[in-house]
Amino acid sequence: MSNIGNQKGAALAPDAEAPGAASPRGKAPHPLRAALGGGGNAAILKRVAIIGGALVIAIAVALLKSGSGLVVWQSVVTGLLMGGLYGLIAMGLTLIFGVLDIVNFAHGALLAVAMFIAFGVVQGTGLHPYLTLLVAVPALFLIGGVVHRGLLSGTGGGSLENQLLITLGLSLLLENGLLMFFGAEPKTVTLPGDFQFGLFGAVVTGARLYAFVGALLLGALLFWLLRRTRFGTAIRAVAANGPGAELVGINVRRIHTLTFAIGTACAGAAAVLAAPLITVTPTLGEQFNITAFVVVVLGGMGNVGGALVGGLLIGLVEQLTTIYMDGQSSLLGVFVVFVVVLFLRPQGLFGRRA
Amino acid sequence: MTGITIAGGTGPAGRGGTGRATKAPPLRPQNRQLAILLVLLLVAIPLPLILPSAQGAVAVRILIFLLMAVGWNIMSGFGGMFSFGHAAYFGLGAYTSAYLLVEHGVSPWIGMLAGMAVAAGVAVVIGYFAFRYKLQGAYFALATFAFAEMLRLIVTSTEFTNKAVGFSVPLIQGSSLWKIQFAADSPAYFWIALALAGLAGAASILFLHSRSGRYVTAIRDDELAAASLGTPVMRHKLMTVALSAAITAVAGAFYTQYYLFVNPDLAFGSSVSIQAIATVVIGGIGTVWGPVVGAIIVGSLSDVTATLLRTPPDFLNFLQGRSGLDVALYAILLILIVRLLPKGIVGTAMARWRR
Amino acid sequence: MSARKLVAGLGACAVLLAGCGGSAPSGAAGAAAGRDHGPVKIGALHPVSGANAVDGQQMRRGAQLAVEAINAAGGIKSLGGRKVELAEGDTQGKAEVGQSEAQRLISEGAVGLVGTYQSAVSTNVAVVAERNRVPFVMDVTASDAIFAHGYRYAFRVQPGSEAISAAAAAYLKEVSEKAGKPVRKVAFLHEQTDFGSGAAEAFSKAAAKLGIQMGPNISYDAVTTSDLTAQITQVKASGANVLAVAGYYRDSLLAAKAINAVKPNLDAVWGVSNGAYDQPKFVTDAGALGERYFSTNYHYDAKNDQTTKLRADYQRRFGAPMRTGAVLAYDAVQVIAQAVDRAGGTDAEKVREAISASQVTPLAVGRGPIRFAANGDNRNALPVLMQIQGGQVKQVYPAEKAESQPNYSVTWRP
Repeated sequence: MSNIGNQKGAALAPDAEAPGAASPRGKAPHPLRAALGGGGNAAILKRVAIIGGALVIAIAVALLKSGSGLVVWQSVVTGLLMGGLYGLIAMGLTLIFGVLDIVNFAHGALLAVAMFIAFGVVQGTGLHPYLTLLVAVPALFLIGGVVHRGLLSGTGGGSLENQLLITLGLSLLLENGLLMFFGAEPKTVTLPGDFQFGLFGAVVTGARLYAFVGALLLGALLFWLLRRTRFGTAIRAVAANGPGAELVGINVRRIHTLTFAIGTACAGAAAVLAAPLITVTPTLGEQFNITAFVVVVLGGMGNVGGALVGGLLIGLVEQLTTIYMDGQSSLLGVFVVFVVVLFLRPQGLFGRRA
Repeated sequence: MTGITIAGGTGPAGRGGTGRATKAPPLRPQNRQLAILLVLLLVAIPLPLILPSAQGAVAVRILIFLLMAVGWNIMSGFGGMFSFGHAAYFGLGAYTSAYLLVEHGVSPWIGMLAGMAVAAGVAVVIGYFAFRYKLQGAYFALATFAFAEMLRLIVTSTEFTNKAVGFSVPLIQGSSLWKIQFAADSPAYFWIALALAGLAGAASILFLHSRSGRYVTAIRDDELAAASLGTPVMRHKLMTVALSAAITAVAGAFYTQYYLFVNPDLAFGSSVSIQAIATVVIGGIGTVWGPVVGAIIVGSLSDVTATLLRTPPDFLNFLQGRSGLDVALYAILLILIVRLLPKGIVGTAMARWRR
Repeated sequence: MSARKLVAGLGACAVLLAGCGGSAPSGAAGAAAGRDHGPVKIGALHPVSGANAVDGQQMRRGAQLAVEAINAAGGIKSLGGRKVELAEGDTQGKAEVGQSEAQRLISEGAVGLVGTYQSAVSTNVAVVAERNRVPFVMDVTASDAIFAHGYRYAFRVQPGSEAISAAAAAYLKEVSEKAGKPVRKVAFLHEQTDFGSGAAEAFSKAAAKLGIQMGPNISYDAVTTSDLTAQITQVKASGANVLAVAGYYRDSLLAAKAINAVKPNLDAVWGVSNGAYDQPKFVTDAGALGERYFSTNYHYDAKNDQTTKLRADYQRRFGAPMRTGAVLAYDAVQVIAQAVDRAGGTDAEKVREAISASQVTPLAVGRGPIRFAANGDNRNALPVLMQIQGGQVKQVYPAEKAESQPNYSVTWRP
């Protein structure tokens, strides 16, 4: 059960029991169900069935609308591959939200910083782009730690609007800092030896497949960290009940800082994997930030597995929107889904009702 | 949402109207604030005659910011409902008046009223659903953001709003108060904006001290308690949201008349929402005068940095021609103020003064 | 308490005055007074900071080079050799800032303005210019909407979006027929705002007149898209034999990657006002992917010796290749300066008259000297067809502007 967060804000009662965190370590549920965020087995299966059914209907309607099986099939493949990337980006965000209850609007900008680090290292040393993980992830971990200690912990970072404004200010600062140092010219990171193959007629490029696999690996890594290590247990304890964790001797502030750092390090990993796919500009975070928030809400705040599934759903919604609504931004479909989920299931598709 | 206290001398009235027995107060807080507002307006009237015309444009921009900030502050400061989507109401005000004027030749004054009505209506609908489903905090903020973005996307692809092109207000010969169009550097723009800002300020003060205002601040401070006392929570929240949206729509409608051009990004872009928020937070959230101070700082900031960069002092020479400095400065200022003065300039100053 | 508030209020007003006064280096001496003596001021408004800063700086430098050239040649002759000075403004890429900067330059005595690179900003500045009765000569501004309002003081040097799209359709028909692979059906991929949709609409209209079949017409959101594979698959499924693309830099690069992945059965990839396919940077970023892509756009005249000299000068001084925008800014400043010369004074109305009767030889591609139609658009602006050949952007059509022959084909099909 990787749903580490409580549903603060979404729930009716502010001090609702935190789900998940209370379950004893020894009795971890089945991994698949766990990846979907836990909850009652039958309820989860029913929910998966509903979502799956809705998807099948949506794809069938798309087939009727476009009239070309190839186009729809390519859209589904592209949507899933993009969705993996969205999930990857949203994982760090959902971790931070779940444990610290911070709405981190700087996540996209931190992503951009990591991409520029990757770009700079590739440019400067000629290293293989994926090897820049060794630089970008530790660097982002450090930046995350410094940001949390310097800007967000303590009294000034307390209330929602203050957190929101600090992270918003930080994202403006980072974006414009990048603009000042790297200039506005778009940059590209090319993946040497990129390949592509056909999948029943749809095209899949290597870089996208790597990003998708990377998302699965990172999700598994986070899952392991949270469920199978002492440190992860401490994180979940803090997320569930801060004062209680303090009482049993956990240094809550340290856990907060480390969690924030891990969350931004995830952004670092996502950035490196995504860098060959997109054009690197200082403002690239904006295009992912909104989507990442939608994914986080969809998957349930603090639910790493939910973020992955939410990412895949949003990837599909985006692609299907472009088939359904000609001349309309794919973002509109995403927002419609977002608002419906926000109203009907604010705890996320895979969260438990508090 | 309980972290905000009402500074600006509204404390006594805000606490259920008990009225702390001050030593022979000369005026009720409401009247005192209205008097200060009047003095501020009188002081500001001669400004356009003193300022050079390029700075006159900055002064008008400050007043537009002020209108937006007053609107946002009512909902998010007094009401504690943190909106991240006020661009929706600014845009509806701008587009309603622009559409009526360009397509049907309706006076922008009427367009402004229509825009207020449309914005208030939309705000009530969004608010109803958000409150009905009990969205709070970050979820409420994200929902308002999503609605503003949806409006932007819909306007961008709708034929009768001219898609992405937007509306250009046709120029007329001479000047006309009815059409709100004057010579480019006419002080009339400033005076109209000042009058609108004054009205908005007065509305905000009157609202704060009204029954609804007192209820809504009580709801903000403790919704459960207020509800258990039988306060019609939903109704007062919706009234607050409607008033806030209507004032923000005035800012949008005036923007259209002053710049004579709107497009979806200018009207509905998320930077509009951010500007409204940043202005109030820098000035002091939930205070009466915070929006004024914030608007002066935020409205003139980009021109101050631009001037600094145009003729930089020697030690700043290396910055010339660098991109992004003004926004970076703005961001640093925003972070510093939130970190060091979490209640904003006015809020912190008031707290100090009282001590 | 009341008195205290009053003090605070007055303090706020003082801040207002100081804030505004602080950003007022020049007094409001009055526009007319500023124009009559000292150098003749030409205002240049470009996005020198913000996301478009690279182009903005290029264009400001292009305007500076024009001013230097005019002064080196003896200033404004009819005014006894009065020097020209560039009054520079930074729009930051924002419409409101463009408006206040235009107001500032006019109050500092600019006889005319050039700018602004972005259509939304130009729309705002055009209004300011119109109401202050100061000519505004746009260097880069794609939108045609500005010229539909009957403004008297708005002029434009570059060919508009509609002109480029119409030329793109005409060139496509001519070039494809000459190559023996006549165009049959054109799929149009475009970003969904004013710029891309406008180009698609104008292209379709022109194509219909030429008897070219259109479809499908696919749009995307340039801000959020990060994969266009499905869209290109749709093109492949449609059986179109030419793909026209109107997009900004980033998304056009994505389209190139998707085309390379899907390899649809095309005879040509046809950029229309495309933000990437005629840029040297695209050649670097896309590498072999971009080879043989066509693009119809405005362009500096590569066949003009003076242009070559100017660009070499720019490269030497600023260490970067001079872009078309900068050349157009150069042309726009020349238009104003030569008009002041012929008007024999700085009276705005006379300068406007002189501009509307301009006969300025451009350094950008044109049919002839810059001459303005009644609505202010340049009648002799000429879009040119370019193609990436051997990693170089070459002008290939029409014949009198061609550096080499068009190679009507794509790399992945025989």
